[in-house]
Amino acid sequence: MNNLNPDTNREFSVVGKRIPKLDAAQKAMGRAEYIQDIKLPGMLFGKILYSKHAHADIVKIDTSKARALAGVHAVLTGEDVPKKMKMGFYKDNPPIKKGKVCSFRDEVAAVAAISPEIAKKALDLIEIEYEELPGIFDPEKAMEKDSPLVHEYHKSNVLNLPWKLHYGDVEKAEKESDFVVEEKFTTQWVTHCCLGTSGAIALFDSNDNLTIHTNTQIPSLAQKDFLESLKAMGLVNKRVRVIKPIIGGGFGSKLDTYAYEHISILLAYACRKPVKIMFDRVEEFKATSTRQPTVIYIKQGCDKNGKLTFRDMRMVLDNGAYTSWGATTPSVMMMPITSLYRVDNVRFNAKCVYTNNTYSQAMRGYGNPQATFAIESTLDMLAEKAGIGRVDIRRINRNQPGDITPQGFKITSCGISECIDEVEKEFAIDGPKEKGIGTGIASLIHVGGGARIYKSDGCGAILKMDDYGKVDIFTGGTDMGQGLDNITAQIVAEELGLYVEDINVVHTDTDVCPWDVGAHASRSTFVAGNAALGAAKKVKETILEYGSKFLDADPEDLVLRDRAIFVSGDPEKSMPIDKLLRKAHFSPQGKMLMADFFYDPDNENMGKEFKGNMSVTYAFGAHGVKVKVDEETGKVQVLDYVAAHDVGRAINPLLLEGQVYGGVVMGLGYALTEEVVTRNGQNMNANFRDYKLFTAKDAIKIKAPVVETYDEYGPFGAKGIGEPGCVPTAPAIANAIYDAVGVRIFDLPITPEKVLAALKEKKSATTEI
Amino acid sequence: MKAFKYLSPKTIEEAIAFHGQHSETAKYMGGGTDVIVKVKEGWMEPDFLISLKKIKGLCELHKNDATGELSIGAMVTHATLEKSLMIQNEYPIIYDAVSNIGSLQVRNVGTIGGNLINAVPSADGAIPLIALDGVALLHGPDGERSVEVKDLFIEPYKTILKPGELLKKITIPPPAPHTGSAYIKFGRRAAMELPLIGIGVLLTLEDDLKTCAKARICLGVAAPTPMRAFDAEKFLAGKEINEEILIEAGKIAADESKVRDSVRGKAWHRKEMIRVHVRRMGLKCIEIIKNNR
Ligand SMILES: Cc1cc2nc3c(=O)[nH]c(=O)nc-3n(C[C@H](O)[C@H](O)[C@H](O)COP(=O)(O)OP(=O)(O)OC[C@H]3O[C@@H](n4cnc5c(N)ncnc54)[C@H](O)[C@@H]3O)c2cc1C
Repeated sequence: MNNLNPDTNREFSVVGKRIPKLDAAQKAMGRAEYIQDIKLPGMLFGKILYSKHAHADIVKIDTSKARALAGVHAVLTGEDVPKKMKMGFYKDNPPIKKGKVCSFRDEVAAVAAISPEIAKKALDLIEIEYEELPGIFDPEKAMEKDSPLVHEYHKSNVLNLPWKLHYGDVEKAEKESDFVVEEKFTTQWVTHCCLGTSGAIALFDSNDNLTIHTNTQIPSLAQKDFLESLKAMGLVNKRVRVIKPIIGGGFGSKLDTYAYEHISILLAYACRKPVKIMFDRVEEFKATSTRQPTVIYIKQGCDKNGKLTFRDMRMVLDNGAYTSWGATTPSVMMMPITSLYRVDNVRFNAKCVYTNNTYSQAMRGYGNPQATFAIESTLDMLAEKAGIGRVDIRRINRNQPGDITPQGFKITSCGISECIDEVEKEFAIDGPKEKGIGTGIASLIHVGGGARIYKSDGCGAILKMDDYGKVDIFTGGTDMGQGLDNITAQIVAEELGLYVEDINVVHTDTDVCPWDVGAHASRSTFVAGNAALGAAKKVKETILEYGSKFLDADPEDLVLRDRAIFVSGDPEKSMPIDKLLRKAHFSPQGKMLMADFFYDPDNENMGKEFKGNMSVTYAFGAHGVKVKVDEETGKVQVLDYVAAHDVGRAINPLLLEGQVYGGVVMGLGYALTEEVVTRNGQNMNANFRDYKLFTAKDAIKIKAPVVETYDEYGPFGAKGIGEPGCVPTAPAIANAIYDAVGVRIFDLPITPEKVLAALKEKKSATTEI
Repeated sequence: MKAFKYLSPKTIEEAIAFHGQHSETAKYMGGGTDVIVKVKEGWMEPDFLISLKKIKGLCELHKNDATGELSIGAMVTHATLEKSLMIQNEYPIIYDAVSNIGSLQVRNVGTIGGNLINAVPSADGAIPLIALDGVALLHGPDGERSVEVKDLFIEPYKTILKPGELLKKITIPPPAPHTGSAYIKFGRRAAMELPLIGIGVLLTLEDDLKTCAKARICLGVAAPTPMRAFDAEKFLAGKEINEEILIEAGKIAADESKVRDSVRGKAWHRKEMIRVHVRRMGLKCIEIIKNNR
C-alpha cells in the first residue's frame, strides 16, 4: 500500500491546530461570491415549468403565447430535448419530460428571457392540457401485480438493481440463537436544506465549447455528464469547463447533475447567450432530491452470552419517479449491516421501487443512518431480551483492529471501544434512572479512507512554488463549506515548513484542476489530503536537494520549519525558503519547484456478492444522549449529547468539531423534527416554517471527544469524519426514549404525536391486564 | 415580486387620506413581517404600502397609574413588550406570548397591531390580549370606534376593520387583585415556530384565594380565529380552584375547541395539548397569585 506517513510521533506546527476557516471572515462579511452573485455580460434568465400532476399524460402543450412575449429568447419543451439526453446512472430521466409526467417535480417546459420576471410571466403563458392517470405513492403497493406502472416501458415498478447478499448461513444461525428480535422500521424523506440554493450559468464560446458555473460536489463527473449532453446535442469533440463558485452547503445534494443544469445548457445553446437558472427556496425544497425513504424489516439474534449470531435485513426503498444515487444507497447500507459489530451470518436484500413521488439522492451518510437506525434500535431490544446491559452487548460484539468483516472489510485502526468509553464517562447508560429521563447509546461504522464506488477513487494535485515562498496548489478535491481548503493548506504547510496563509488552494475550475471522483463518502481529507501530501513530498525532496547544496549539509539532517530550512543540531546554518527558491530559480539551468501527484487509495471495488475492501480504513464512533420525555405531551427534550469519534488524527480539531456538531444537529432533525410531508406526491411543506429544521435555539450543547487512533494510511494519520456525525443519532435518541418512558418508536421522525400515541397504547395495554 | 410604492405618512389623518386615494390598491404596513412576505410570495400585490412607522403616538406603551389601564400602541414591537419590566411583572401572559414569537429579528420589527390585524388563528399576540379583555381602538375615515379584541376576527386573514380603518391601540382594563395569567405556545421547535396550539389562561381569585372570581381560557389554532373557551370559563367561575377542577376545565375546553388535522399537527393531539396545558397554565396562574401575595 502507498503508506505515505510512517512518522506517528512527529511534533507538528500546523497540523492538529485549531485554525479557523480561511474564508470565514469573507463569508461573515458577505463578500464570498456564490452562484447568486455571478452575473455575466448579456446573461439571460432561465426558468422551469413543473408538472401540475403526480401522474398524467400531456395531451397538448401550447407555447405560442410565451414565445410571443417581448423579452423571451427561447421556450423549450420535451420535444426540444435530444433523445439521448438522460440524467442519472439508470438513464431514465430526461431534463424536460415529453408525453407524460410521473411526478410533481417533472420539468415540462423551460424559458429564457431578459429578466427573471419576464421568464416567470412566460411560464404562466404556457398552456398545457393534461389527462390525469392513477398515481402510486406507496412503494410496497407499487410492487403489487396490478399496480399502475410509473414507466410503461420498464414493465415493472421494481428497478433492476442487484442489492442482495448472504454471507454465512442466516437460517441456521437463527435456529441456533438463544434470543431473536424481529421488527419493522420506516424512515422518512428529509432534505439537505443547503442555505445556498441551487443554480447554474451555462454559456458557449464561438466554437461551441461549454463553460458552466455550477454548484457541484463532483466537478469531474459533472464534466463527464455535460460532455454526454453535448454529444446528445450533436456537439462532438467539444470541451466542457466546469467552474464552481463558492458553495453554500452540499451534504450530498450536489453529487449528481440535475435537470436545471442540463436545461441551462440547452437554453444557452438555443439563445447563444449565457443563461442563468437560480432556484428559489420553494424550488429548492420541491425540485432537488431527498434522502432515500425506507421500509426496513430486520431480524437480529444473539446467543445467551450476548454474542451476535445473525442479522437478516430486507428493505423496500421508495425510488420516486426517476433514478439518482438514492437508488444506490443500499451499497453503503451494506456496510453497517455486514460490519457494524462482529456478526458472521448476514443477509440483505433491498428493492428500489418506482412511485410517483420525488426521487432521492445522496445525503450525508448515504443509507447508513437508515440501516443503523434499525440495527442499533433492535440491538437494545436484543440486550433487554437477553438480560444483558446495553453497553455490554456493544462491547461484547465490538469491532477490533485486524478484523476482516464478512463483507471483506479490513479493519485497520479501530477506536470503537474507546468511543464507548467516552460515552460511558458522560452517562451511566446502565445506571439508576430518574422518572421521564433516559439515556441512549448507538455506534457507527463508516468509510474513512475513501470508498471505491467508481472505477477510480483517486484525486490529483498539482503544486507550484513561486519566488516568495508561496504555494499554489490545484486540487481535484471540492470545498463546499466543510473546510477542505483548510485541510489541504494545513497538510501542505506542515510538510513544507510554511504557514497556512502561504498556501493558495485552487479547487474551482476543471480547466486547471486535476481529476477527482467527488466530495463524497467522507473521503476528501483522506484522499485529497493524501494527494496534496504526495505533491508536497515531491517538492520537499527538491527543496532538500537544494538545501543540502546551499547549506552544505546532509539532506537527512535538514528540517523545514517557520518558512526556513535548518540543519538540525547546527542552528547557525539555515536559509529562508523564499531565498532558497530564488537561488534555485535564478541560477544557470534554473529551476522552479512544482510537482503533481495522483493518489488513488488501495481499496477495492466490490466484487462478486459485494465483497471487497471498499475503503482503506474505517471510521468508528459512539453517540450517547440523555433525553427528557414529557409523558403528557410526548415532547422529547434533548438534555445532553456526546458524540465520540475515532478520526485517526484531527488535522484541525476546530473544523472537525464543526463537522460533528453539524452532523449531530442534522441527525437530531432526522430523529425528531424533519420530514418532507407529501400528499399524493405533492410536497406540502416547501418552506422553513413547516419543514422543521433545527434552529440555533434548538441546537444543544454537544460534546465531541476525539479518539485518535492514528491510521497508518491517512494523511498524518487522519480518517474521514464528514458524515459520521449524523449516522447513529436517531437510534441513540430512540433508545433513550425507550429508556425514559418504555415506549419504542419505529417510525421517523419521532414526533410528540407518535410518542404520546405509543404511551397511550402502552397504558391501555397495561390496564387491560 | 411586484414593485410597490412606499408611503410614509406622519399622522393618522394623512395615512387614512392616502388609503382613501388608493383604496383597493393600498395596504397599511406595520413592521412588514407579514406583509412583505406575502408580497414577495405573490399572494398580495399592492401598488402602495402605507407605513405607519412615522406616526407619533402609535408606538407608545403606557400604563396609567391613576386608572391602572394599560395602553399598547398598535406599532409597539414584540421586542418592546418583551423587554418591558412592567409587562414581565404585571402581564406575564403577554410576556409569555411575545417573547417566543419568531426570532429576535422578527420581534424587533414585528408589531402587536400587525399581529392582530393579520388575523391568523395562530397569532401568538392575540391570545393574551383576549384573555386580558383587551379593547381595540380603531380609527377610520368615519372617526374612532372601540371593539373588544375578541370580536376583531371574522376568519383567517379577515377582521371587522372597514376599508381605510386602522388600529390605533389596544387598552387593557386594570387587572383585578389576585390575578394570574400564563400562555404557552406548543410547537416542535424552540424558535421560528408557529404554535401547533396556543393556550392562554387567566384566573382571578376571590379574597379567600381559593374561589374563582373570573376565568379566561383562550386558544390559538383551535378554530378559524383565536377563540375563547366559554364553557370551560363558565365551569370554573365560582368554583374552588384545584388541580382536579383544572383538569375538568381542560377537558371542557378541548371539547369545545374546533381543532382539525393539518400538515402541521393532528386534531387528537391538539385536543390533548389543550387538556394538558389548561391545567398547567391554570396551576401557573395560581402560583403567580400566591407569589404576588
Ligand atoms: C420568520 C417569521 C416568524 C414569525 N413567527 C411568528 C410567531 O411565532 N408568532 C406569530 O404570531 N407571528 C409570527 N410571525 C408573523 C408576524 O411576524 C407577526 O404577526 C407580526 O406581529 C406582524 O406584525 P407586523 O408589524 O410585521 O405586521 P405587518 O406585516 O406590517 O402587517 C400585518 C397585517 O396587518 C395590517 N396592519 C398592520 N398594522 C396595522 C394597523 N395599525 N392598523 C391596521 N392594519 C394594520 C397590515 O395591513 C397587514 O395586513 C412571523 C413572521 C415571520 C416572517
